[in-house]
Amino acid sequence: MNPRVLVAMSGGVDSSVAAAILREQGYDVVGVAMQLAPGASSSIGQRRATCCSHDDFEDARRVAERVDFPFYVVDLRADFAARVIDNFVDEYLSGRTPNPCVMCNREIKFDRLWRRAQALAADFIATGHYARIERDPHGRFHLRKAADGAKDQSYFLFSLGQRELARTLFPLGTMTKTEVRARARALGLANADKPESQEICFVPDGAYARFVERNVDPGRIRGGRIVDGAGRVLAQHRGVHNFTVGQRRGLGVATGEPLYVREISAERGDVVTGTRDELTAAGLVARGVSLVDPRLAQGGQMAVEVKIRYRHPAIPAKVRMTDVSSAEVRFSDGGPAVTPGQACVFYRGDEVIGGGFIERAIGI
Amino acid sequence: MIRCIEECGDGNPASVHHAGQRARRMIENARERVSNLIGAPARSLVFTSGGSEANNLAIFGAAEASPPARRAIVSSAIEHSSVLAPLARLESQGFEVVRATPDADGRLAPQRIIDAIDSRTALVTLALANAETGTVQELAPVAEAAAREGVLFHIDAAQAVGRMAVSVSELGCALMTLSAHKLGGPAGIGALYVRQGVVIAQQILGGPQERGLRAGTPNLIGAVGFGAAAEESARVIGEESQRVTALGDALLQDLGIEIPGLRLNGPRFGRIGNTLNLTFPGVLGESLLIALDLEGVEVSMGSACAAGAVEPSHVLTAMGRSAAEARSSLRLSLGWNTAAEEIALAGEIIPRVWRRVASAEPSAGEALR
Repeated sequence: MNPRVLVAMSGGVDSSVAAAILREQGYDVVGVAMQLAPGASSSIGQRRATCCSHDDFEDARRVAERVDFPFYVVDLRADFAARVIDNFVDEYLSGRTPNPCVMCNREIKFDRLWRRAQALAADFIATGHYARIERDPHGRFHLRKAADGAKDQSYFLFSLGQRELARTLFPLGTMTKTEVRARARALGLANADKPESQEICFVPDGAYARFVERNVDPGRIRGGRIVDGAGRVLAQHRGVHNFTVGQRRGLGVATGEPLYVREISAERGDVVTGTRDELTAAGLVARGVSLVDPRLAQGGQMAVEVKIRYRHPAIPAKVRMTDVSSAEVRFSDGGPAVTPGQACVFYRGDEVIGGGFIERAIGI
Repeated sequence: MIRCIEECGDGNPASVHHAGQRARRMIENARERVSNLIGAPARSLVFTSGGSEANNLAIFGAAEASPPARRAIVSSAIEHSSVLAPLARLESQGFEVVRATPDADGRLAPQRIIDAIDSRTALVTLALANAETGTVQELAPVAEAAAREGVLFHIDAAQAVGRMAVSVSELGCALMTLSAHKLGGPAGIGALYVRQGVVIAQQILGGPQERGLRAGTPNLIGAVGFGAAAEESARVIGEESQRVTALGDALLQDLGIEIPGLRLNGPRFGRIGNTLNLTFPGVLGESLLIALDLEGVEVSMGSACAAGAVEPSHVLTAMGRSAAEARSSLRLSLGWNTAAEEIALAGEIIPRVWRRVASAEPSAGEALR
């Protein structure tokens, strides 16, 4: 019997082509679309308001019919709400800027969905992520950047350990986006030219602050002060969830020199501003660190390159494990603004060593 | 049906020309066959696009035609969504809707329905056999009470017809919903029985077809298929319902031995034998459903939401099951085309797959919150 693989399908071109490639390779493919956001529906005449819409699932279903494999919608709304949305909201209210895609991968796709895969007698789980998994002659798995540097999504996958990598397939890791679209057209897939989703899937309008407000007890939203480095009050604000460290616009403060959010203190309710120079950090402290490559844990310290935001280039740094799940990162040449809540991922060349969530910046 | 497509696929039964006349003969012949199945005169049957449309026509049609003093409807919490949704709309338009709740086996107490009927009641609408549990309701006393108060009584018999003997005169209803595909006929055709002399308001306007109760060129091919299925069903119903009930009982027994804690949702007796609604302990129904489908065993769960995910059954929660129990429940349906060997095979596959799903993805805990 051919190995069975559960392919997580969004209705987009990437996961569709991933499924088709695995089918061609002889896998027993089972496609699933995850219903994650609550109350997703798009009847005719309604504006498409969210992800996980009927239209997206229909796109995936048509691919499954065309390529010929079974397809199902699985309802993971309760898990997504408890493990991703609650965390997203809590992080914003704590003055951090979360990355829910990392959390969704860790908690939903490679944990919750894996349990479903086992229930369905699947041997592997696959997604349309652009990243590569390689197994070395010693049986150790390595997570690497995608061949298409512009599309590389390894940043979102740092939390996968050896156990997860052993049962995961990323069929698009060696392909470029252009090749994927060409393959989709060659396969006659109707979604070959479907535009990419850019925003966080459950906040399609990009209005994160409003999403937070709609999803918490109003008592948890407290206004506060916008202050400068010396503690002088510059303005009032309507809740720390409206701010991101490094942000410049929307402060509602007029001064000569451009001001940026330098620090957010949720306890005091203060948003501390500073000049561009004051944003520069010497490094950062990361928590929730997980390691793909255990060499770092053994040695305790390693010269790496770090990415502190998905779209930022990797910069040279030294990382040192301070305990089993915390690390201290020192930038080699002074770093850019460090945004607490975002992921900090450690690379060596194209290999992911590990990563964690930014707790705070280390000042110069 | 094939002969019909060949001979007059494009004939409009309402036309006067030859093809039209041939089509008309065929559709009237089909009407007679379907009406025979429920012991009704042929001309009391209105063809619709299916059971859902028939339910909509019965409920909106009766409500619209009811006198201003009658603005209440008596029904139950375990009806099909094509009954519940029209009732919800009428409620928003000022009707009072009483929804009786069932006991733990899904049975409605006739006396509680009867107590809810009074001079303000416009309509009583209830299913004869529940779509999800197969529970058969005792409706004759309700019919008598409705008649006493001069209230229209609509029975949704879509699930029952073909699985048990159904007679409009014995049940004493004014309106009855039928669906073709439930008896092996084609999808996309159903019918509403409207007793002679009963007045309901037309809901699809634009022509005098179907006794002025449903405008539009009738679905000739569907009707002919419906007629053929009804005739076959009437011929075999006695032995077939016995056969299917015996198969269902055998499957229930097999599963009960292999799956500790398995629970039948519905009465042991007083149920249409083809429907087994079961709570499988320790698993998510959705997961078990998909796992079984991959093994070639097709079962169903609640009803599909717009996106294709399944929602916990409102019928089971009305019967007192928790949302978690409802999420662990699946419906196994046996049909005229289910063979004994298939049931034996299902009796082996289902426990094996249940064990795998229960150990890989136990439903207790967070997934059920």
